[in-house]
Amino acid sequence: MELTILRGAQALGSLSMRPLHSPALPRRALWLAAAALLLATTGCRRHQSRTTAHEPVQGGTLIYATDREPICLDPHVQGDMPQVFLAEQYLDSLVAMDRSGHILPWLATDWAVSDDGRTYTFHLRHDVTFTDGTPLTAEAVRANLDHMVDPHTQSSTAGGYIKQYAGTDIIDTYTAAVHLKTPYAAFLEVLAQGFLGIESPRALARPRDENCQNPVGSGPFRIVRWDHQSQIVLARNPAYHWGPPTALHTGPARLDGIEWRIIPEASVRFAALQAGEVDVIDSLPPEAETPAQRNPDLWLLMADRPGNPTNGTLNIKRAPFDDIRVREAFIRSADIDGALASVFFHHYRRAGSPLSPTTPFYSPAFEHHADYDPDRARALLDQAGWTGRTEEGIRTRDGRPLVVHIPLKASLSAAERTLWEQVQATARATGFDVRLENGDDTTILEREGQWDYDVRIGYWNTSTADVLRIVFSSAFLGAAGVGGHHQNEAGFSDPAFDRVVNDALLTTDPDKRRALYLQAQTIAAQNFLQITTYPQSTRLALSRAVHDVRLEPSLNVTSLYDSWVTR
Amino acid sequence: MTHLLRRAAWRLLGGILVLLAAASLTFAALHLTPGDPVTAILGGASANPTPEAIAAARHEYGLDRPIAVQYALYIARIARGDLGQSFSQHMPVIAVLRAQAPPTLALMASSLAVAWLLALLSVVPTARRGAAGAIASTLETVGAGLPQFWLGILLLWGLAFEWRLLPPAGNHGLPALVLPTLSLAIPLAGFIAQVMRESFDLALDQPFILTARARGLGDGTVRLRHALRHALLPCVSLSTWAVGALVGNAVAIEIIFSRQGLGRELFLSVATHDMPLVSGIVLFIALTYILAGLAADTLYVLIDPRLKGTRP
Repeated sequence: MELTILRGAQALGSLSMRPLHSPALPRRALWLAAAALLLATTGCRRHQSRTTAHEPVQGGTLIYATDREPICLDPHVQGDMPQVFLAEQYLDSLVAMDRSGHILPWLATDWAVSDDGRTYTFHLRHDVTFTDGTPLTAEAVRANLDHMVDPHTQSSTAGGYIKQYAGTDIIDTYTAAVHLKTPYAAFLEVLAQGFLGIESPRALARPRDENCQNPVGSGPFRIVRWDHQSQIVLARNPAYHWGPPTALHTGPARLDGIEWRIIPEASVRFAALQAGEVDVIDSLPPEAETPAQRNPDLWLLMADRPGNPTNGTLNIKRAPFDDIRVREAFIRSADIDGALASVFFHHYRRAGSPLSPTTPFYSPAFEHHADYDPDRARALLDQAGWTGRTEEGIRTRDGRPLVVHIPLKASLSAAERTLWEQVQATARATGFDVRLENGDDTTILEREGQWDYDVRIGYWNTSTADVLRIVFSSAFLGAAGVGGHHQNEAGFSDPAFDRVVNDALLTTDPDKRRALYLQAQTIAAQNFLQITTYPQSTRLALSRAVHDVRLEPSLNVTSLYDSWVTR
Repeated sequence: MTHLLRRAAWRLLGGILVLLAAASLTFAALHLTPGDPVTAILGGASANPTPEAIAAARHEYGLDRPIAVQYALYIARIARGDLGQSFSQHMPVIAVLRAQAPPTLALMASSLAVAWLLALLSVVPTARRGAAGAIASTLETVGAGLPQFWLGILLLWGLAFEWRLLPPAGNHGLPALVLPTLSLAIPLAGFIAQVMRESFDLALDQPFILTARARGLGDGTVRLRHALRHALLPCVSLSTWAVGALVGNAVAIEIIFSRQGLGRELFLSVATHDMPLVSGIVLFIALTYILAGLAADTLYVLIDPRLKGTRP
């Protein structure tokens, strides 16, 4: 309390440029002024970083505010973005990835891949212990990989990424041979993601729902407490000296701890940062980006995430998008650049390619393959036979109007919704009747399972170009009997494409993979399967009191391992 | 004594029927709306669940059984006092309630208390006092007409964003409780004050007021000791309704102020069709409502001793 008041007094000092600690000032007046300030400006207490510190400071607690609460703290279970943000703070991975997509050692010091590409032998560090005291051994690697693929784990992400996993042999205490059913060149790339972080085998042996509440890792912080819907409290792991090679320092984390707060409302989250209630926020709303840039107390940290960018995937299994000309016409009738400029205040760039620019083996060749071109769109519709017009100007063929159904989930952000309203407006000018159909998430998911949509809005964050296989290859069209759930939302099925993306898994030679993924991107772009809009991105706004926040390269999620605060 | 026991038995039976109805309606509502909890849980935006994972989850939660069996098991489970395991939170429902109920109950209690305080301050000094009464009465009508969520956004914008007097979000400390409380209390105060003013006016016309004045009591004493007691009864019944309404309105307020609580939890659990959690929260709200009714009955007797034994 006393400390806070003192900071209030300092704040007054810096505001009025007059030393408050002059002995002439009566003590009681000082207390009163401080108390008044405390009431009026609880805010000013945290942004006091003008004290220019260049040397990292030990200690202190950082308050991080995020939009969504993880449903389970163990990222193996389900596996949504909020989980991997938190996993980055308390879990380590077998390997790390750098900015250029190279795989580096981390918990595994080195590894060997068998000639048939189906066995990966990992040699582990000998000096790593989880925060419950369990040592890292080959047994732990086996327990983790087994856990990810166990159907009972309910893993949507980690388990899906290593479907090829067959089992692990323990060679010795610190050597594990991981066997795959088929060669999988993207294996190390996905292992670098926090979704596949390595947890304490002893903690994993507990029931799933118990492990969800307080999973145990070997990372720079450990989870202390989870006040549901409010915050997750983390404390430094003092034994930590096995940080990733991409980190800025070695040894234990500089912060004593982290308070990971959940503030779902974007404007409230930004207001909390401005008021100094929190030190860092993520998912900075687009309307706050300019004010944040102009605020001298704040700085911004942003990066695009690799994977398949935010998009509307066209369902080619039914009319009208079973016709490639109508698909191209629709994509070219949508003025995405204009919409992005107005919705996101010029802060977001267009993503024109099936891969986001930060993805390994991304090619810039397709950024403009389907730019806004209403004249070409109209010509294509004429060719495809959509030559009639209703009174409202909607194109018709054989008397049927050109209708595009786009289901919108209730959880879709307001900005994304507005973006699609703009697409609706520009596509209408070309003669498309775009219907934006709102529904709650489960209703829309059910429609998606039944292929009942023309455009499906989504994205896919992952550290490998193998994402193309997931979203466009025929192996992901969905199995019967499980609610029709499928990942290939376009319904695209092309043997040539399947061959290319499957071949890309057979070789670890980067040049061969690059050539194959170029082919895959070419086929995906030429078939006009998605309106890609903007890359998914991590957008942080930070107090000037916060230093050395890093984005972990494989998914560009926040890492607070190097961070320190000056107060 | 037997009379009292019979009354208590009827009360208990009524309460059980209300809970059963609430549980059944929740079950029906969640099964009639389209959607599947398993795809909601496993099929998030960046999800890649294997068919085996989906089948395993469906089996784990008993969703692969016929609907009548699911209903029977559900009612039997609740009858045993077992609220089950939340699909979406990976926690026992009872643990979710234990964590989320206190902040909502605190918000409800503070809102009800502040609403009563505002209503008393608005009515007691101004009733039958010409212009002051007219102004207060107008303010009460305006207050009662304000939608809580709109008031919440307005208070948030003015007091938290612009003037930064109070924290915009969270559950940390009393200051964070102020804005959500005011958003819920001001409209409720309007309602309570309108009812209170009407019965206060009526009470002031009663012969016993004249008697009291004839005994030489001052105006303040007459108002506080005699008229007010009569004006309170209808406000107490209104407050039982308000307890129910507060939980409903807490959904919007907890979302606007990013507050921890049952309202936000209810919103999230409906979105994921998390049946055990939705029914757990609904049952908790129904129970709160029943208990509020009982508390009101007790208060009636305390305020008006004449009711002892005569009320059905």
